[in-house]
This record gives sequence, structure tokens and C-alpha cells, in this order.
Amino acid sequence: MPTKLDYKGQKLAEQIFQGIILISAVIGFVYGLIIEQFGWTVYIVLVGFAVSCVLTLPPWPMYRKNPLSWQPVIPETSGESSQKPQETLKKKKHK
Amino acid sequence: MNTVLSRANSLFAFSLSVMAALTFGCFVTTAFKDRRVPADIHVSKVMLKNVDDFTGPRERSDLGFITFDLSADLQPVFDWNVKQLFLYLSAEYSTKSNSLNQVVLWDKIVLRGENPKLNLRDMKSKYFFFDDGNGLRANKNITLTLSWNVVPNAGILPLVAGSGQVSLPFPDAYETTKSY
Repeated sequence: MPTKLDYKGQKLAEQIFQGIILISAVIGFVYGLIIEQFGWTVYIVLVGFAVSCVLTLPPWPMYRKNPLSWQPVIPETSGESSQKPQETLKKKKHK
Repeated sequence: MNTVLSRANSLFAFSLSVMAALTFGCFVTTAFKDRRVPADIHVSKVMLKNVDDFTGPRERSDLGFITFDLSADLQPVFDWNVKQLFLYLSAEYSTKSNSLNQVVLWDKIVLRGENPKLNLRDMKSKYFFFDDGNGLRANKNITLTLSWNVVPNAGILPLVAGSGQVSLPFPDAYETTKSY
């Protein structure tokens, strides 16, 4: 099962968790300021952290929507012809 | 950001940086607040003794006993950046041998969440009121001051001095109780 993200997925994951943490930080700061307890600010940021963990740490399929398109595999005959120039190079070096 | 560990590292470091910025914001919102509140001190009884003082260079020193009442409303001092207040009652006076003496007589720690309205009656001094010599007898002017230290969640610890003072003379003779 593929567990790596592609590049666009990595960018999306980073944007998601940065956005969630920043929003929870703003909400937490304002709420803590209103009820005069800094502890609640910390709790709200921790909740944002937990939500970000769930959304970005596991390799969800939405992060694998743009896989890299590799070139098709080249068949064997052109592989032999690429080996011959290397062999002649090796003979020249032995001299 | 390819592996889970890399994403977890990045997420955790970002969260810590944001938390540090929020803590700085908490400090900034209360950095310039005036922490003074009026306090009311009333002394009901003063007694003076002349006792052996083993901590000083002379044989006998003056020892004072003060009974006082204290009332203050500390609610405006507490905000979201205050963890606790350290209150102390100090006596300040001058004698022939020393121009300035300051002695702490009593202290109290008030945590956030405890009742901030102080209404203490007939409190005895917690610490010995020893003088460096015999300067308390017939001293005309001894000033009692209630001060406090604000312990914050984030930031500096301001020392708020002198919120309410009372000055009183001490008795002329030993072993006599003077009531006010």
C-alpha cells in the first residue's frame, strides 16, 4: 500500500496544518483574553494540534491525487547497445 | 514532508512556535498595567520588649509585637497573566544609629482563584520585629506599608510598593501594651 505523498499532496498537507494551527491560535487567544484565563488558550491550540495530526499525519488518498508520471520502461535491445560503448571504454583503460 | 515522521516534526515545531508567539502576546497585553490598589491597614495593639538577642553584636535588643487589621480588594490586580500575588507587610523607621530600617513583619501568598478580597482582623506579626539596638523605644514614627509582588504567567515580576500606609509611634517603656 503506498504511504508516500506526492509533491502537491505534501504542499496541501503543509497548508492544511498551518492554517488549522493559526486559526485555533487566533480563536484561543481571543477566547482566553475574554474569559481572563490563559489556560484555555493553550487548550484550544492543543485541540487544533490534535485535529491537524489526524488530518495530515496519515497518508490520506487526497494527498496522492497527483502522482509523478514516470517515463515508460525502455525495452531490452537498446539496453545491449548501451552496454557496448562501455566495454570498449574499459578495454582502452586497461592499456 | 514525505514521511509521517517528517510531517510530525514539522507540525510539532510549528505548533511550538505559534504557542511561543501567543505567550508573548499574553505578556504584551498586560505589560503596562498599573498594579496598585488601595489597602487599609489599622494597628490595634503594640507591645515592646527588650530581650536577649543572640543574633546581634549586643546583649539586648528591642523586640516589637504588633497586632493589626488589614483589608484590601485585590480583584483588579488579577488578570489572565497573573499566577499569584506575594503580599508582605513591612515596617520602615529611622533610629539614631541607622537612618533607614526596613523589617518585614508578615507575608501571605494569594493564588489566582482564591478569594481576592482580604479582610483580616487581629493578625499577629509572623516574623520577629527585632531592632538593631534599642531604637524602637519612644520612636516617634514607624511606618507600616503593604506591598506586593505580582508573579505572572509570562513576563517580568513587578514589585508594587506602598499601597496604603499607616504611621504610628511606639511606646516609651518596655513591657507595656499601647492600644490604638
